[in-house]
Amino acid sequence: MSEILIKNASVCDPAQGINCETMDICIRDGKIVDSVSENAKVIDAEGKLTMAGGFDGHTHSAGKINVGRFINPNDARKNLVPGLSGQVARTEKTRAQVGYNTPNTYAIGYRYAKLGYTTICEAAIPLLAARHTHEEFKEIPILDKMGLSLFGSNWQVMEYIRDKEPEKLAAYIAWGLKASRGYGVKIVNPGGGEAWGWGKNVSGLYDPVPNFDVTPAEILMGLAEANERLQLPHSVHVHCNNLGKPGNYATTIETMKLFEKVKPSRDRQSLHVTHVQFNAYAGTSWRDFETGAPMVSDYINGANHLTFDLGQVIFGPAVTMTADGPVEYANSRMLHEKWSNQDIELEDASGVVPLFYSPKSFVNAVQWAIGLELALLVKDPWKIMFTTDSPNGGSFVNYPEAFTYLMSAKRREEVISGFSKMALDRMVLPGIDRELDFYELAVMTRSAQSKIYSRPEKGNLKAGSDADIAIYDILPGQIDPATEYQKVKKAFSGAAYTLKDGVVVVKDGEIEATPKGRIYWVNAKVPENIDSPMQKDLDLKFKKYYTVSKSNYMVEDMYLENPVEIGTEGVF
Amino acid sequence: MQVVKLSLKKANKIPIEADNVNPDNFAGKTAEEIKAISVWHGNGQFPLGDLFNVEVEGSDSVENTMIVFEGDVSRVKRIGQNMSAGEIEINGNVDMHCGFGMKGGKVVINGDADSWLGCEMTGGEIILNGNASYYVGSGYRGEACGMRGGKITINGNTKDYLGEHMCGGEILVKGNVGLLPAISNNGGKVVIEGNATMPASEMKNGTVIIKGEVSDLLPSYKEEGTEEVEGVTYRKFVGDVNVGGKGVLLIK
Repeated sequence: MSEILIKNASVCDPAQGINCETMDICIRDGKIVDSVSENAKVIDAEGKLTMAGGFDGHTHSAGKINVGRFINPNDARKNLVPGLSGQVARTEKTRAQVGYNTPNTYAIGYRYAKLGYTTICEAAIPLLAARHTHEEFKEIPILDKMGLSLFGSNWQVMEYIRDKEPEKLAAYIAWGLKASRGYGVKIVNPGGGEAWGWGKNVSGLYDPVPNFDVTPAEILMGLAEANERLQLPHSVHVHCNNLGKPGNYATTIETMKLFEKVKPSRDRQSLHVTHVQFNAYAGTSWRDFETGAPMVSDYINGANHLTFDLGQVIFGPAVTMTADGPVEYANSRMLHEKWSNQDIELEDASGVVPLFYSPKSFVNAVQWAIGLELALLVKDPWKIMFTTDSPNGGSFVNYPEAFTYLMSAKRREEVISGFSKMALDRMVLPGIDRELDFYELAVMTRSAQSKIYSRPEKGNLKAGSDADIAIYDILPGQIDPATEYQKVKKAFSGAAYTLKDGVVVVKDGEIEATPKGRIYWVNAKVPENIDSPMQKDLDLKFKKYYTVSKSNYMVEDMYLENPVEIGTEGVF
Repeated sequence: MQVVKLSLKKANKIPIEADNVNPDNFAGKTAEEIKAISVWHGNGQFPLGDLFNVEVEGSDSVENTMIVFEGDVSRVKRIGQNMSAGEIEINGNVDMHCGFGMKGGKVVINGDADSWLGCEMTGGEIILNGNASYYVGSGYRGEACGMRGGKITINGNTKDYLGEHMCGGEILVKGNVGLLPAISNNGGKVVIEGNATMPASEMKNGTVIIKGEVSDLLPSYKEEGTEEVEGVTYRKFVGDVNVGGKGVLLIK
């Protein structure tokens, strides 16, 4: 039995409504408890901000990031955030680290832990390539991990939707989650991945997918229905059509409206829209491009069925990686950049393109502003997960820097002062004076995630929850984040302590221990009489089209370290 | 003037990474201090004095420091990396990455150089009195810019990918070059007195002059009359049109 007592912590735990109150936290055997014995090891947290461990709900940290690594070998020597990037020799406790946007797997674990993060959700697992994702998961230390499986341009999915077989569709989703050991349903540019196989794209919710006679709207509704039928812990996780195109805010709002009629099967949202920054563009071309954030946030403020994450842009080099194949082709042509493209057989497309966000480019400046506008114009922080869609908008190691933008209007003004007149005319950020406090920041970085992913043991400090705790050397009330933002950045850049399951993994910003994290995956039960006809359809797909056999397709148990199987009962 | 003479105690098979061996690190130091500078040899770090005989004459500033390698150092890499001033003379063959990221000063090699000579250099001068291997004056893998300034003169031949991703500076090759010289370059000047194959593909900017014979000239260049340089008239080509390039390729 191991016990820890965190004394006199200044606790900020939005799940319990605790806003920076001084209290003790007791830990026994990796869980938070009400009391501990006198023999408990004491951590003095007096004067230190204490929160649940951070939870990054949308990050590209395993799988596709590897294509980013080999397309950008030069990333290995980038060191733009000293202490959280660049080449670090191995120590007795840590392995060697390289890179910035696409660091090696070990560095991903260490660096998230240093920021006080303890859980991540990989944003896209192609079923066919799931094995690789899990191989990388295995080598990311410390963090608990989960991943979202891609279903948005899948032949089997589109056929069942076209043929109006919702039960078989649900059975297929359950099978796909098991095959890939995924946690939820990710939909990227629904239908667009398949259209890209023919060098095309879909232009909106009602543009039919070539050869399948279904529309993106039908795919979204079909998958949402299956998602709720299986009572999955997460809602569908949607990367909208027309990402990265001026004027796309209309498609985004249209997509959100579509879900008003979806009834969630659990106490959570019925739709999560991801990296909305890339989907909140107004204008008709790059010439008259401007922010669409006010329109999108207006809609979100009046809606109660959805959550979203930001996809905040960080100035400097980034690497875009997405299953949205046509977007990456457009990026590479427009920016004359390197381009990697992949066809995931019957399932999806994908692409990787490195790029550079410059404050001198008016488009990039407006993109930067849109992320912050969304965060500040949407009133309820429980609807928002803070992300940079790492490394699409920039590496996660810049989170502390981004927190200062959210918490300080003065800091924003500093950045904005470098923008061109043209950029300023296209954004509304300069007129926003809202500044987030530590409570709201805690909601966006850990507590909202717990609700959005139905992981009640994460993102809070209630008794019974996992003892994943971040202690930062900063005391709300004694500092003013609006002016002393450099202190905020410093404190969040290296946690005084990070505890993972009650083990001190970071102390004074340095790695102390590297335990293995868990892998969460969802096993949704489907009745035999629905599953077996679906399996027959699937066998035909493998026989006729796939390059691998079904028996070689499933991710086996040996790929999972510390797996946590989340069982759900499908309703049929 | 300070002169530091280095010679290998015995020929090495496992490479020595001599990225600390440059005038910036040696200026004003005694033989003992220089011997104590550590270098990587294989997977271990060793004092320079364990691997090299070190003789020092005089003591002076970086600008007035000269390092002389006696004999073959064909398994010693990164000599002169990041040097900002002074001079290095190598009387033998040298391994990869010589003069990498050099900012100033001069390197003279009286022998052959392996790949990546003068990569990403921004200033200074390299004179090679022998042949070079691949990727002279190019960029680190994945970078958009290689050499940005300075001058590399090669009195022999080079192999493929000369001046890859070059963004500035000048390279002069007196002999022949291999495949795809000046590939993806975005500035600077490359003069090849010998022959070249498929020059300047994906060139966005810069000038390439080839005095010898060109094999397999790429079709993605527009011919735009002639241009005279130093009394010689060349056919002028502009491209690479594939990347919307404005580079100038002059050939006979």
